[in-house]
Amino acid sequence: MNRTDRTHALRLLVAWAVLSVIGVFIALQVHLPPGDQSTQSVDETSLLDLMLVISTPVFIGVVLFILYSAFAFRQTGAVLEDGPPNHGNFRLQVAWVAITAVIVLLLAVIGISGLSNSAAATTFASSQATLGTVGSAGTASGHRLQVQVIGQQWWFTYRYPDFGGVESAHLMLPVDTNIEFHVTSTDVLHSFWAYQLGVKADANPGVDNITYVSTVNTGSFEVRCAELCGIWHGHMADPNGQVVSQADFATWIAQVQKDDVGISLPPYSPIYFPHPPVKGS
Amino acid sequence: MVVDRTPRVGGRLAIVVLGLAALLALLTGFLVTFVFHFPTTLTAQPTTVGNGVSIHLETVAAVQDAIAFPRPNDPHPDWVSYLPTTIFKVPANSVVTISIDQEDGASGLRNPYWSKAQGIIGGSFHMSYFDDNGAPQAGDFSVIDPTTLAHSFGIPDLGVFVPLQGIADAAPAGSHNEITFSFKTGKAGIFRWQCFVPCGAGSIYGNGNAMSTFGYMSGLLVVQ
Amino acid sequence: MAIAPIVDGPSIIQSSERRIVVPTNILTGIVLAVFGYWVGEQLGNSFLLNDAQNTGVLLGYSFASIMFLVGVGFANYPLARLFGWRVTPQPAGDDHTGAWRYLNLSLDHKVIGVQYLVAMLMAMLFGGIGAMLIRTSLLVPDPPIVAPDKYLTLVSMHSVMMIFVASAAIVGPFGNFFVPLMIGTNRMAFPRLEALSFWLVPPAIVILLAAPIFGGFQTGWTGYTPLSEQADQGFDSYIVGFTLIGLALVVSGVNMLTTVIRLRAPGMTWIRLPIFVWGVFSASILGTFAAPILAAALIMQGFDRTLNTTFFISSAGGSPYLWENLFWFFGHPEVYIFILPAFGIILELLPHFARKPLWGYRTAVVGLLGVTLLSWFVWQHHLFMSGIAPALRPFFMFSTEMISIPTGIVFLVAFGTLWRARISMSVPMLFCLGFLFNFLIGGLSGVFLSDVPSDVTLHGSYFSMAHFHFTIVGGEIFAIIAAIYYWFPKMTGRMLNQTLGKIHFWWMMIAFNMAFMPLFAAGLLDMPRRVSTYAVDLQTLNDWVSIWAFILFASMLFFAFNVIWSWFFTFKVAPANPWQVRSIEWMLPTPLGRRNFEKIPVFTGSPYDYGNPGAKPVADLGGPSDLGRRGFGAEPVPS
Repeated sequence: MNRTDRTHALRLLVAWAVLSVIGVFIALQVHLPPGDQSTQSVDETSLLDLMLVISTPVFIGVVLFILYSAFAFRQTGAVLEDGPPNHGNFRLQVAWVAITAVIVLLLAVIGISGLSNSAAATTFASSQATLGTVGSAGTASGHRLQVQVIGQQWWFTYRYPDFGGVESAHLMLPVDTNIEFHVTSTDVLHSFWAYQLGVKADANPGVDNITYVSTVNTGSFEVRCAELCGIWHGHMADPNGQVVSQADFATWIAQVQKDDVGISLPPYSPIYFPHPPVKGS
Repeated sequence: MVVDRTPRVGGRLAIVVLGLAALLALLTGFLVTFVFHFPTTLTAQPTTVGNGVSIHLETVAAVQDAIAFPRPNDPHPDWVSYLPTTIFKVPANSVVTISIDQEDGASGLRNPYWSKAQGIIGGSFHMSYFDDNGAPQAGDFSVIDPTTLAHSFGIPDLGVFVPLQGIADAAPAGSHNEITFSFKTGKAGIFRWQCFVPCGAGSIYGNGNAMSTFGYMSGLLVVQ
Repeated sequence: MAIAPIVDGPSIIQSSERRIVVPTNILTGIVLAVFGYWVGEQLGNSFLLNDAQNTGVLLGYSFASIMFLVGVGFANYPLARLFGWRVTPQPAGDDHTGAWRYLNLSLDHKVIGVQYLVAMLMAMLFGGIGAMLIRTSLLVPDPPIVAPDKYLTLVSMHSVMMIFVASAAIVGPFGNFFVPLMIGTNRMAFPRLEALSFWLVPPAIVILLAAPIFGGFQTGWTGYTPLSEQADQGFDSYIVGFTLIGLALVVSGVNMLTTVIRLRAPGMTWIRLPIFVWGVFSASILGTFAAPILAAALIMQGFDRTLNTTFFISSAGGSPYLWENLFWFFGHPEVYIFILPAFGIILELLPHFARKPLWGYRTAVVGLLGVTLLSWFVWQHHLFMSGIAPALRPFFMFSTEMISIPTGIVFLVAFGTLWRARISMSVPMLFCLGFLFNFLIGGLSGVFLSDVPSDVTLHGSYFSMAHFHFTIVGGEIFAIIAAIYYWFPKMTGRMLNQTLGKIHFWWMMIAFNMAFMPLFAAGLLDMPRRVSTYAVDLQTLNDWVSIWAFILFASMLFFAFNVIWSWFFTFKVAPANPWQVRSIEWMLPTPLGRRNFEKIPVFTGSPYDYGNPGAKPVADLGGPSDLGRRGFGAEPVPS
């Protein structure tokens, strides 16, 4: 490193440090989804926040470098001249790889610990997906409220096996409850996405896809389909999902039980293969 | 091969202009015939009582068999369909009465939950139909046997779901079940409605062709 | 199989004097394709296997493609060999001069490069028109300007068309044209396969464009089952079109690998190989091994649709997971087929315009090959939410994040090259810098998607849509445009107008970022991908995006104008080395002769040896002339 190198590097470093502090400060002000309605959404929000904070200095550094070189290192004279014949710097390359590797490892560790953290067991070691056969309903699920999400073209319906398997066209959940979603489909692939709850799980025909959520705050949430499922995919959205108090939930589920009288629903099952099995007639 | 030569712009310009014109013609044809093809809108007719409006529809096993609303020149004469169209314009904050001539046979539901009427005034719909012996019957219903559905009329965002019973095999030829129901519209908006019965014959799970094409078994309710 | 030369020298095969005299060109190809479609459709419909008549359409498309290739002239040589007639190793197309030879079967890699360039620009225009219609429809949430089923067809056709473009638009035009030049040979290893890899593309594009005739298809480019099995005959376009592109990828990949491994001129050692060739080489590895999986999976879908097999239908014993895995096992290497040659272009151009040696050449190669290797181990990150194999999620999360290490190396090499350079700020360089900015955003947003908990919120939303548009449009397309500005003089003999080029850059750069940056916000605000409607409060955002998308499209039309104007309406032959750079292709005259090298060159220096007054020239073009017999750049012989 000669003097010119050092001057350029110092300038860049100072500018980067100053702008990064400002950038991170701004990044911390950004409200990222999905919010605080469940422990899962809290975890996801903080992870997104963390990623934004980590990537802001990286972004600023790279952009700064591009702009700085575009202005400081451009041809000035009328005759094309060559730059210094540097072919590489081994130590710098090793250091760069080491730094990126550390960042990657850090993110991976955070991600994996988030997955294996039982309070945030959104997706890890939770799914009981089965191929074409009846899935198990889960082993340690006794203390969780079971909710089955049935995707169909083009609306989600919900069954509550703990309450006689009644079915509803809207999703209502009690607050402060651990919930176990069993997501399945009667036709094509859908994806059950409860945005504010921080839950997304694909609905596959013949598969019982299990995911967990723990509600902590009441409020309404939006259910959307997040996997292309045909003509009305964009309209397969229900803004009327609700997390309500336990008492309100009890009232509501009683009403649903009353409403469902007379419907010959099939017995509750983790998966359904309704008629027609393949081709419609 | 590229060589320096005296410019002969005319011929090249003609090729470029002709090429662009051909491309433009192709594109216009594509846009008009495929992309911007949209069903017509049916405005609901005011009824004699109250501030309500009414819509009269027909459901058929094949467009070519239509009785009340024939639609010649349909590109898919053998598909099931709601007729005459599937975009309805209704006023906001009013009572909409829909009566449907249901001429198709039963297919059954994939999710029996849709066999119950929801979100309609009185919680039940009026149906005149034929029993298994071909005798005409009539009555008010809120739920029917899920295997007897031919079609359904559902507006999920308004919570309106109505099952439409299939015509009995013993019913006289050319007859139909008539289903009548009313629901209230709220504020203005555009809502999707669809049939929840897998009636797209020949396609997987019965949800292809007519079920997956705009203007047959689904449409929009424009509330103004 | 070793084949003795038949035309020159003593013939060891007693060949008949009869020759195929029927002319073969693109017109006979079209005529035979129409006939082939008719035959296939009749045949397919006569089986009555499936009441949706997919058999007829599928066989029609397949027969049409085969007959098109026959009509173009691919059958002449094998048939002549079969009957023992006299064969000419070069097809008739190479006898023509002028524009007509571009519409004929030609084995000249330079002709094929130009054919590819024009075909890809046309396909990009079709895909772009689709994007404009999509954005037009999204100007209002409801009622959609385009009916929802038509809207999804537009989305699907736009995506598949752009995937065609993205897979072939670097290796096709620039790989075919410049790899033989850069390694000092007169031809590719298998010229006939090279021509085949091009002539498979036009039928693929036409077949895809035919989808609306049969009602279109609503599956997006992923073609997930059972939704795809629900689609009408429009989906058969996807199956056949995508299979043809897959074949083109395999054929071109095998050819590129063999060429680079076997046909390098003396002195062109592996560590002297231009970095662009390394980019094409690594993408070719992926193309060769990934595309067959796609073709196999597509044929299985075809069987499901015609023979009533149930590979992907769970209610009859199959599984949609099978398709998801097969598709993404191809699909993730596929996206590196897009970006690796783009890395190659950027790292190739940076030293020439920074006028400095490529900083850390060997590390850059390691980076490219590292991406190549890792890309095989990440495909399930597309399936984090699908419910399969949750225990594997940490592995795929980790492998996905690992990819940022070799990608980071590419950025490091770019920075090292820019450091204290003498940057000549011409149009290709502007696009290179634009690439670095856009790809940075694409890469950083990719990290957000790679961690499972954050992916729960972002998966399948506009955030991921914005992410891959930043990597593919902001990344690969910017690299392609940089390459067009850079290499156009050598390919066509005409300089593109540089003033228009600078306007184009700023126009496109600003419009692109204005159009796609807000889509990250749309994704975070719970707007899923591929929706024909959206929440009413997102209308301002969507209108903003649509208007900037129109401006972006206008910038591409402006670029097209520049290309057409400079190519056909300026009559000044470009200088042989307009950029005053070292690489060997610029040592050759413009326009290039039929043969690239009269004598096989001997490479003596690195193409990036700037700032070294004593640097040797890249190659000695007057090298020994007897190397033809050893396989170096002999005239095309039957392959």
